[in-house]
Amino acid sequence: MGRKILIIEDDRETANYLRRGLEQEGHSIEHVANGQDGLYMATGASFDLVILDRMVPVIDGLSVLRALRAARVETPVLILSALGSVGDRIEGLECGSDDYLVKPFSFAELLARVNALLRRSESRVASDPRLTVGDLEIDPLSRTVKRGGKKIDLKPREYLILEYFARNEGRVVTRTMLLERVWEYHFDPGTNVIDVHVSRLRRKLDEGFERPLLHTVRGAGYMLAA
Amino acid sequence: MPTKLRIALVAGLLAFASNLLIIGFIHWQTRDQIVANERKQVAEQWAVLRDIYRASGEQGLRRAIDDTIGAGDPQMAAAILTSDGRPIYGNVSAVSLKNAKPSAGPRSVLLTIDREATPREAAVGFMRLADGRWLLSGRTVAEGISLRETLERSLLVGLAVSALLGLICGWVIGQFVDRRVRDIVAVADRIGGGDLSERVPHSGGRDSFERLAERINQMLDRIATLMNELRMLTDSLAHELRSPVGRLRAAADAAISASDPQERDKLLGDVIRQSDALMRILTTVLEIARTESFTAKNQFSWVDPGELGLELAEMYEPVAEEAGASLTLDRQPILIPIAGHRQLLAQALSNLIENAIKYSGPGGEIRLFVREDEKGLSLGVSDHGPGIPAEREGEARKRFGRLDPSRTLEGAGLGLSLVQAIAHLHEGELVLDDNEPGLIARLEIPLNGVKIPDSVGAL
Repeated sequence: MGRKILIIEDDRETANYLRRGLEQEGHSIEHVANGQDGLYMATGASFDLVILDRMVPVIDGLSVLRALRAARVETPVLILSALGSVGDRIEGLECGSDDYLVKPFSFAELLARVNALLRRSESRVASDPRLTVGDLEIDPLSRTVKRGGKKIDLKPREYLILEYFARNEGRVVTRTMLLERVWEYHFDPGTNVIDVHVSRLRRKLDEGFERPLLHTVRGAGYMLAA
Repeated sequence: MPTKLRIALVAGLLAFASNLLIIGFIHWQTRDQIVANERKQVAEQWAVLRDIYRASGEQGLRRAIDDTIGAGDPQMAAAILTSDGRPIYGNVSAVSLKNAKPSAGPRSVLLTIDREATPREAAVGFMRLADGRWLLSGRTVAEGISLRETLERSLLVGLAVSALLGLICGWVIGQFVDRRVRDIVAVADRIGGGDLSERVPHSGGRDSFERLAERINQMLDRIATLMNELRMLTDSLAHELRSPVGRLRAAADAAISASDPQERDKLLGDVIRQSDALMRILTTVLEIARTESFTAKNQFSWVDPGELGLELAEMYEPVAEEAGASLTLDRQPILIPIAGHRQLLAQALSNLIENAIKYSGPGGEIRLFVREDEKGLSLGVSDHGPGIPAEREGEARKRFGRLDPSRTLEGAGLGLSLVQAIAHLHEGELVLDDNEPGLIARLEIPLNGVKIPDSVGAL
């Protein structure tokens, strides 16, 4: 189902690239090239997501974000920025953004994050806190995991990874998303840390079962799907 | 007003004022001295003459007067006067005797000594003799006064001379100051013009100007070093980026000439991987620069070093295992939280662990440790890998400094310099030690003023 996304980005090429890609995904896109128009649009109309470049003219991205949050506009905001140091990312998140993506980025990375944010903006009240993916059952309260009725023992971090996957069922989760959401680290560890953890989780999850649940999505990341 | 003129004027004025003070003091002191002397002499002489008169009457007095005058003191005045003040005996030819009263003196009167034309001021004492006549005895003060005048005159000349000397000294000092300052200004101008090799010349002395020159030169040395580092960094960045860009290009070239779609997809994957590697280098270079500029200080929070160690051990334990090595955590049970940057500290430890895993190889035993003592927090990693020879430590810390000459292992050699920058951000140091064999790399962070709260002590 298509959603409404506002792109505030002054670089025409990046904006077109985003628009094309997201429209192909079925979303409807509004685009403005400066912070002032962006703030006006974001407060006036209702969007499911705002993609905000940090360095836009007239009003800079972070000021737009602060103004939005001060006006109690709780639309999820994804910041795009060429400022990629750890300090910059933290600053962006502390201003009230929901995600921070550093340029240059792959479209797969952006799409995965956009989908994760759109999922969050879906207001659904679950009567059952339990998460199920196929024959996998996760109980966030007791932090127990069962597959096919059989209990699976996970280490705390493995549980957190699985829960994050389950909450994004059927959507791509990238390595940096896992690093940021599960470990809450905003630096690039450089090696295969995430892969190693995911493959351990996969062994516990899928070994002995005919149908794998945890899939690798080439060039993007992973996906938990039945 | 030019500096040297101002200094000259101030010096001249100071010399003048201080000399005026001294002269005033001398003047006041000597005047008192002279007057006191005169008084004493007059009183003594009066007493002697009185005693003689009492003992041997007028005859004796006249002889005594003769003796007194005859002693050859030109200041001496002694005479017998009629009751209306006319001299009848002695060396005084005229005196005005107004309201004379018997007293040891001294009273100030004008009198004329024999054979002198003009009357002179004198300090005298009077005594009434038996028949109503007067005995006058005293001294003219002319000599004392003239002595004083001479003294005063010479002091005044001295005053003028000292003021002049002060002015000259001031001028010379001003000239000196001006010259030294001019030297420094000239150097500053040339440096402003872009020539950083210029230095303030040494005069060889140990004065304030020399110290100023020294400081300025030290500052210039530091700036020159920084500029040089910056230049070298720019050079090496440009140089170091050639190989990843080259690899990227090669991958793109290979992809473009691949005819098999599956093969091309694989090669395009290489292109993306190479551009990611390139980005990683740039991000790290920027991260180092950012960390070195200390702007991240406002993101400090309380960090529990033990928890940090636990997180990273848990994060890398499977990675080490995958590489055939082992990672163990060694931490004190209770650690004081430090004010720090959680993300950057985690990144520093992550870099050290990654290095250790990379260089240890299969079978390596890697230890992540977190300790605190009175000196501060020490957190780091030890391994039994090849280590870093002491003489190449500086190289290892440098940006793009890689000790592996064949460059077979991946990485741009930025890791340790980022760790070092993070240590500096926390007012600490990156210490590299020999693990015999292997490397101990640790951040030593002082616990600045952080006291153990009582509640912690009670645990």
